[in-house]
Amino acid sequence: MKAALEALESGALDEIAGIDDLKILEESRVKYLGRNGQVTGILRGLATVSAEERPAMGQAANRVKQAIADALDAKKDTLEAAAFEKQTTAEAVDLSLPGRRPRPGHAHLIPQVADEIVDIFRELGFQVATGPDIETEYYNFDALNTPADHPARDSHDTFFVKPGVVLRTHTSPVQMRVMEKVQPPVAVVVPGRVYRVDYDASHSPMFYQFEGLLVDEGVSFADLKGTLMHFLERYFGPGHKVRFRPHFFPFTEPSAEVDISCTMCKGAGCRVCKHSGWLEVLGCGMVHPEVFKHANYDYEKYSGFAFGMGVDRLAMLRHAISSIGHLYENDLRFLEQF
Amino acid sequence: MRVSLNWLKEYVNLDGISVEDLAHRMTMLGLEIEAIEEPGAEIQQVYVGEILSIEPHPDADKIVVCKTNTGGPEALQICCGAKNMKVGDKVPTAIVGATLPGGFAIGRRKMRGIESEGMMCSGKELGLGDDHAGLLILPPDFPVGADAKPLLGLDDVIFEIEVTPNRGDWASMIGVARELAAYYNRPLSIPATPLNESAEAITGLTSVCIENPELCGRYLGRVMKNVQVGPSPQWLQSRLQAAGQRPINNVVDITNFVLLETGHPLHGFDYDLLAEHRIVVRAAKAGEKITTLDGQERPLATDMLVIADGAKTQCVAGIMGGSHSEVSENTTTVFLESAWFNPASVRKTSRALQLISESSQRFQRGADPEMAVYALERAAALMQEICGATVARGAIDQHPLPLPRKQVTLRHARCNALLGTPIDAEEQKDVLVRLGFSILVEDAASCTFHVPPRRHDVSMETDLIEEIARFHGYDRMDVSLPAVRPSAHVFAPQYQPERALRHFLIAQGLTEVFHWTFCNAQDAEKAGLAPALRDMVALENPLSEKQGTMRSSLLPGLLNHAAYNLNRGAASLAVFEVGPVYAPVWKNDLPTQELHLGMLLHGPSNGTHWSGAAKSYDFYDLKGLLEATLSHLGVDATFEPSTAGTFQPGQNASIVVGKQIVGTFGKVHLAVAKAFDIDPNLYLLELALDSLLSQAKPHGQFSAIPTFPPSKRDMAVVVDEAVPAGALAVAARAAGGSLLKSVELFDIYRSEGLGAGKKSVALNLSFQADDKTLTDNDTQKQWDKILKKLQTDYQATLR
Repeated sequence: MKAALEALESGALDEIAGIDDLKILEESRVKYLGRNGQVTGILRGLATVSAEERPAMGQAANRVKQAIADALDAKKDTLEAAAFEKQTTAEAVDLSLPGRRPRPGHAHLIPQVADEIVDIFRELGFQVATGPDIETEYYNFDALNTPADHPARDSHDTFFVKPGVVLRTHTSPVQMRVMEKVQPPVAVVVPGRVYRVDYDASHSPMFYQFEGLLVDEGVSFADLKGTLMHFLERYFGPGHKVRFRPHFFPFTEPSAEVDISCTMCKGAGCRVCKHSGWLEVLGCGMVHPEVFKHANYDYEKYSGFAFGMGVDRLAMLRHAISSIGHLYENDLRFLEQF
Repeated sequence: MRVSLNWLKEYVNLDGISVEDLAHRMTMLGLEIEAIEEPGAEIQQVYVGEILSIEPHPDADKIVVCKTNTGGPEALQICCGAKNMKVGDKVPTAIVGATLPGGFAIGRRKMRGIESEGMMCSGKELGLGDDHAGLLILPPDFPVGADAKPLLGLDDVIFEIEVTPNRGDWASMIGVARELAAYYNRPLSIPATPLNESAEAITGLTSVCIENPELCGRYLGRVMKNVQVGPSPQWLQSRLQAAGQRPINNVVDITNFVLLETGHPLHGFDYDLLAEHRIVVRAAKAGEKITTLDGQERPLATDMLVIADGAKTQCVAGIMGGSHSEVSENTTTVFLESAWFNPASVRKTSRALQLISESSQRFQRGADPEMAVYALERAAALMQEICGATVARGAIDQHPLPLPRKQVTLRHARCNALLGTPIDAEEQKDVLVRLGFSILVEDAASCTFHVPPRRHDVSMETDLIEEIARFHGYDRMDVSLPAVRPSAHVFAPQYQPERALRHFLIAQGLTEVFHWTFCNAQDAEKAGLAPALRDMVALENPLSEKQGTMRSSLLPGLLNHAAYNLNRGAASLAVFEVGPVYAPVWKNDLPTQELHLGMLLHGPSNGTHWSGAAKSYDFYDLKGLLEATLSHLGVDATFEPSTAGTFQPGQNASIVVGKQIVGTFGKVHLAVAKAFDIDPNLYLLELALDSLLSQAKPHGQFSAIPTFPPSKRDMAVVVDEAVPAGALAVAARAAGGSLLKSVELFDIYRSEGLGAGKKSVALNLSFQADDKTLTDNDTQKQWDKILKKLQTDYQATLR
């Protein structure tokens, strides 16, 4: 039996050494170590060996089994390594070929910028409010201290749907709609489409405004300045000078227009800022007592500020867009840039 | 409004203030400066020259050779092409080394062989008007050799100012000067108006009758005889030119000058052309017409105020005179009007006639009834001086409706609270007093002021606070961040879901478009919209017919978008729009506005890639996006065959949620594609969002992750082609019981073997129990039930 074991071992090891195929190697494993394999057969035959010889024979048989198993494993590793090397060569990619890119969608610049502005004001505690594009003259003008004979109406170039009904010329009518719903405190921002009969390189008959309104006890002009300066720094980044100068709006008083130092020339003077070094970016002021009267707010108890800005203009200034037309043509070569 | 610095200096001393500082201060006071012009900035070395001789050029017919004395040691020899000068004339002369507007440099040169040592200038060459016909002949009293620049007002600075509608009192030289005088605390000097009235009293010459005092609160007039109409003196012409106006004749120029100076519009009538030599201020009569100074005949309405004579209308009050009684070269007697008209009435008439004038713009902002008096006296004095006029004794001053004198109280603490900046009471009062407000009563906490009549914008405390804020300087105001108290009310519950939806769609690879919300009947028809959607909210005054209505659907805009971009070389389109549509269904005084979602797919979905062919978008790409969108919104919808006009029949479905049709989608109809001149392989969708966004999505509830493995079984059945494949999946789900977790339709197969009109539909069924591993037997039982259901309901046979 011992001789048979030795012959089996040397035969098996020779055979394994000569194998160069994983499949044949597996067959060889079955042939020697499988359930009906030759080594298994010998181990089974131990039962017939005498009790004295059994331990030594058993030991020898197990050693042969282990040797063959080791040889098979070693051979498997070698063959697998060789196969993998072959595979790597075969599957090497041309790194220079372009990848399969998912085609990304793009947010339109106007809602994208409006979202960003909403977020800046939401951080301060403001909430979004909205109102209808087609508005009554009452909300668009009268409630905002702009009665029918007011010269300020001339500057609005209003689209009419019928007498008394207009396309809103600003987002300010939402101020009154909000104030009619609740008593102070009120802190809202209003993004929305607005309309004026005006069309050239810097005017679009539909454009997009952003309104803000804060009413509470003790709200002051200093709060208005602080809020808008914070906003402008967040939106345009640090390093821009901000200037508040007196202006007139029927529904705020004192009123101001706000300029920032020119985003193109940094205040040195260029064509974009008409050589003034400043760019007007928004209008604002303390809510006019007449507006509070319309809203049934107690002017003695509450004060507030309101502001409005053109999202189009803010987008054009920050992204160096030369004509407002680009924003509404929806040319994909424009849209896909943002 | 153009404000000349030189002119301004006649009313207020601005010494020691640079142009930059002045511009900044005007801006910070609310006088918005749109531009600063220095018309003569580039002009150097142009002097007053006297022409000593004019000789013909030996070799040129059109050129003469002049000797001109510019004050130098020797007269200059200058060749010149002009013809309007004579020996002894004084002309602006640019010497060698001079520069003119546009950077034009004057050098020594030869003209046809004759040396020319400079250039004698026309008005246009110096930037003064458009007159290029000949040299600018200067007044004889200009000293030879003097710098011509200041003499011609070319050392001036012009501020182009935008006057806000509330500050009519700023729309004049005196108005601006008064503001600066107040700010710098310097005196305002207003020119005196010395008159030598004749013995003849005005009462014997004319009369004024105001029939509508509510529209004409004050009417003043003077009569000037022996008026010599002619050109205005140089100083007057220069003033008008600086203000951007063209000189006409001395009478007209004086009224224009006084308008610019005082802000108060005047009107001069040819007295001899006024019937009965009298004035009637009244409403226009029905059917009345007037030919205004601009030569246009205008029909008048009975709510328009006119100035008539004893017979007929001569002037649209406060807006424009009529040509009949216009002052002309033949005029010798002038009736000069200075009045106060109701601002609202002037505005209304001006709009109705579409006639805007310097005069109407000032009256509609509210003129100053006190300034009406000064303006009349000033104009009379100038006519006396310049036109040699004899001023009749006395003036007419009818003042039937004096404006109430306003009183406003300022509480110092209120001012500080509103501004958030402490400004002491003395400064507050000082600002207002400097601005012409007078103190009536005061105590430690408050002060009551009389408002000057020119300040139509001031009627309440806030108006006074604004004045204090302007003078204190917005730049000096404190800065703070408010402690915002949020409101419990949610004003726009749809805002966040709408925003999330947009971002979801962008994440699916769609690009967002944002169109004008206008539409027009033609586009609606081309897009095949249903008749109800062709009835749109129309605009009374659209920009053009193309933007004549408010859109009722997003589809026409998307089709135009496709045409626009395909024409510009776009290979594929995958876009969406979220925006409002409108319907003439009125509620609470307004038409209906709804939020819609539109989608558009066309062309290769995956772009070109070297690894394989591009796949084109088809119906199921759009349906898949829709399904994903509905799932994002948490909405269950069914799809029903539809035949909307925009779409190709057989590739169009309605989107049904509950029992409501909320949208439609499909492949565009060939006729629609043709109408928009686009490729018909284009897929469109429109979905009404309002009801879907407002459904509050419940917070997702966790369900346990299954412990036991699923058992997956396929089932392929053959049915008639007409059976919708989706119906089999729905039926399978219904018959599969609680163990059936999912049904996936994974294959459709047709072959000759199956026979014509038949198809095989393959379903992958996944069974799973929460409490055990399913046996073959468990699964088979459910599988059999499903098959039976398909056999019964759809005559399906197992393949």
